[in-house]
Amino acid sequence: MTQTQSLSYTLVISGAPYTSQAPQSALAFAKALVTAGHQLERVFLYGDGVFLASGLVSPPSDEVNWTQAWTEFLLETSTPAVACIASALRRGILDNAEQIRYEKAASNIAEPFEMAGLGDWVEATITSSRILYFLPTD
Amino acid sequence: MNTLIVIDRLPYGDWRGREALDMAFSLAAFDRPVTLLFRGAGVNWLRPGQLTEQLDQKSVERNLSAAPVFGVSALVAEKTALRDYRLSADQLPKATSETDLTPAFYQQFDAVVVL
Amino acid sequence: MLTLHIINKAPDHPRFLACLEALAEDDTLVLMENAVMALVFKTLSLPSCYALQPDVSARALSEVSIPGVKTINYPDLVALTETHQRIVNW
Repeated sequence: MTQTQSLSYTLVISGAPYTSQAPQSALAFAKALVTAGHQLERVFLYGDGVFLASGLVSPPSDEVNWTQAWTEFLLETSTPAVACIASALRRGILDNAEQIRYEKAASNIAEPFEMAGLGDWVEATITSSRILYFLPTD
Repeated sequence: MNTLIVIDRLPYGDWRGREALDMAFSLAAFDRPVTLLFRGAGVNWLRPGQLTEQLDQKSVERNLSAAPVFGVSALVAEKTALRDYRLSADQLPKATSETDLTPAFYQQFDAVVVL
Repeated sequence: MLTLHIINKAPDHPRFLACLEALAEDDTLVLMENAVMALVFKTLSLPSCYALQPDVSARALSEVSIPGVKTINYPDLVALTETHQRIVNW
């Protein structure tokens, strides 16, 4: 039973992959909402959720690579994805600009994630019809 | 649209409360109405006299004292939790109100965020 | 305004009780991830609610049937978010 009206969603992920189910639950929900004809406006990684945006994630070949799974989905659906810059920097997730700014050996943010501040989340609370939080387990 | 940010975890042992506080400050920075609720173990954020230098962490007590300056003036604490953690009203930051957490309390807010 | 409460915490997590206490009469509750253990947690009185099937199956609870608890899938969860303007994740 789905409504005909298309809603806009923002999903916030604050649980890390391989530490919580947040990335998995969020991806399953994201796929279902797109299938139902709604718009996924934005995915926002916050707190430990930023680990999902690490381009260095290298799980065993018989396990899901959550970063890759999300990257594929985000590119397929052209969904903007943001990692909160304050959370990311503290946890060692950097883009090119921050690598230069902090004079680090490398940058590692996975496409298509971009760094932004909490202002993006505030904007999401205003523009999205629905906002859900996929949280850590404990 | 008014938002309730809920802090229910202890300070210093993990960063989730700080992340919640940052959300509250961000809302306020954009002139969005926000109320901060301390419930459960989170009421210990309000305990006076936190000396944090030896942990090399910033004091959340100081963060909170700056809250009104940043536009977060509505601080609310759960009554039963205050009792559970032996905190009395006179120990709390000025302008902190106490409440029982009924469904009606939460229904005052368009959005409730619990990190 | 009806609220959809979604919880992913185990039933012995302090937030579980806090979530139950926040439920208004016609609100809807969805158990996902570790919260589905509430189906077998003796010391908790569970109101009518929904439980996410993949999480129920993973935790070997598919055969557990509690009156008032209905198993749903992700498309059903999306449908629930359509009909509830307020959503609280616990």
